[in-house]
Amino acid sequence: MSWAVRPAPEPGQASGAALAPALRSASSVLSLAGAAVIWVALLGPVIALFFHVTPGTVSGALSAPGALTPLVVSLEAGGITLAVLVCLGTPLAWMMARGRLPVPRLWEAGVLACLLLPPLVVGLLLIFMVGPLTPIGQLLGHVNLSATNTFFALVVAEVYESAPYYVLGAQAAFAAVDPRMEQQAELLGDRPSRAARRVTLPLAAPGLAMALTVAWARAMGAFGAVLIIAYHPYGLPLQIWTTLQETGLASALPFALVLLVVALPLPVAAYLWSARARCRRRG
Amino acid sequence: MLDADVEVDRREFTLAVALRVAPGERLALFGPSGAGKTTVLEVIAGLVPPRRGHVLLDGRVLTRTSAPRRAVPPWQRRVGLLRQDPGLFPHLSVRQNLEYGAGPRPDRARTERLAADLGLAGLLAARPAGLSGGQAHRVALGRLLLARCAALLLDEPYTGLDPGLRRVLTALVRSLAADRDIPVVLVAHELAEAQAFADRLAVLDRGRLVQDGTADAVVRRPASRRVAELVGYLGFVPYPAGGRGAVAGVHPERVLPGAHEERGLVLSGQVRASHPAGAGWEAGLAVGPDVVWCRLPEAPGAEATVTVLDPPCFGADGVLLPRATQVSA
Repeated sequence: MSWAVRPAPEPGQASGAALAPALRSASSVLSLAGAAVIWVALLGPVIALFFHVTPGTVSGALSAPGALTPLVVSLEAGGITLAVLVCLGTPLAWMMARGRLPVPRLWEAGVLACLLLPPLVVGLLLIFMVGPLTPIGQLLGHVNLSATNTFFALVVAEVYESAPYYVLGAQAAFAAVDPRMEQQAELLGDRPSRAARRVTLPLAAPGLAMALTVAWARAMGAFGAVLIIAYHPYGLPLQIWTTLQETGLASALPFALVLLVVALPLPVAAYLWSARARCRRRG
Repeated sequence: MLDADVEVDRREFTLAVALRVAPGERLALFGPSGAGKTTVLEVIAGLVPPRRGHVLLDGRVLTRTSAPRRAVPPWQRRVGLLRQDPGLFPHLSVRQNLEYGAGPRPDRARTERLAADLGLAGLLAARPAGLSGGQAHRVALGRLLLARCAALLLDEPYTGLDPGLRRVLTALVRSLAADRDIPVVLVAHELAEAQAFADRLAVLDRGRLVQDGTADAVVRRPASRRVAELVGYLGFVPYPAGGRGAVAGVHPERVLPGAHEERGLVLSGQVRASHPAGAGWEAGLAVGPDVVWCRLPEAPGAEATVTVLDPPCFGADGVLLPRATQVSA
């Protein structure tokens, strides 16, 4: 321990030392303010919506005959889309994450291409792929299905718009699980399917949940491809579009609010759950 | 009995190893990095297929490349593998980790007894993230023991832990493996760790087993100059009595100050350099054109005479000379 008396600071040094914390606190206040401005700007449209919609207008719009039908159609199509994504997208994502596919970059490029194509273009291309005059369309015709302007077409469009978000998110979730964990489970007596159920899926669950809810939000809001191949039956986005065109902004807003209420809580809940799960694992 | 005789093609060389480990026996597979030690364990565990050979455990054929071919998958082998990363499942509690391989209805009392033996009694409800490094390794070991493994493979599991903890864990594995009477193979690249654990030492270099014997025999009578280098012989001085080109190996820890001709080879020279080594000093002694390192507290410039205790001698071809031509002890 030193008992030496510390020399008094030079006057110039003292003011410099006092200035530095002041500058630091000013800059932190400024960065906080900047972040708040960006956050409010991003959420601005949602905040504006709440200022322009009253409970009366929402109940009025939704109590009109048949007004809830688009919501039911969207929920049903979204639910089936999620089921399709889980059944087909999960194994694909796992194989991509574990490098079990030949030419892995090619598979990734395919999924990315699907993500990068504008939804309207996807809709146009789907007409060429599953339209009534195509071989696939004719095959579907044999089982009394049509991929244009039907509920089935709506599901097809939603799958195409949301699948890349799910597959790439699930791939990242599986890639984050150390393959040695699966190996250890196998050495302890689990066959691969059991190791996947007991180790891989629980460890990837937070990431999978996030991927699934992002895909849900995309499916609920799918519009571009839906507009081209599934104009009927109306889901919520098309209901908003047609109401806007036919009766104006005011009557479309309650449906926009309903879409937000349906599409957003799941991602927010999944985000909170996965953040909590990750936090528990890190201790 | 674990019986493995395998060949595996690697990029730089072909690994060809044959080893037999009896129940309750502890074998240390010792060698430099990249010698193929971990690959041997992975072949036994069924994680790497061999090009040729067989692996038998207690009479069960786990791998056989000749007809009838057989490759038992890892989940049916009952071979436990412990690596440097304990690999605990982070989403499960300590109890769930311990009981992971113990079957659908694990004996809770047995888990609690083992947890007490391992010093984990109060931690059964904890998550792996809350454990220290030593505790995590104890859980990983307990998990293998509760899974009733028929053989235990340890791949430098305690590298990176502090020496005291490493000693405690090594002693724990020793006693637990002895109680269960199963063959154990430890991979080590530090001789002290291998000696502390094993009954038998197998030295692996570039895919070949170059010596197999008790730790003491390997250290005192390395089969070749290369093995001598691997087990810590730092200097080789000419030994004319062994023939043209023969050398005697000098291990820094097997050197006495002074001339004791009846105990080994006497060397004299000037100390060229010295530095602290462990709790003492190591000095580089110039003997002719060679510098021999030995444990001496001499400062540079001093003249010193030392006796190299019973040094192993090697012929010009690097092979250990027969005992008759060795320096008399």
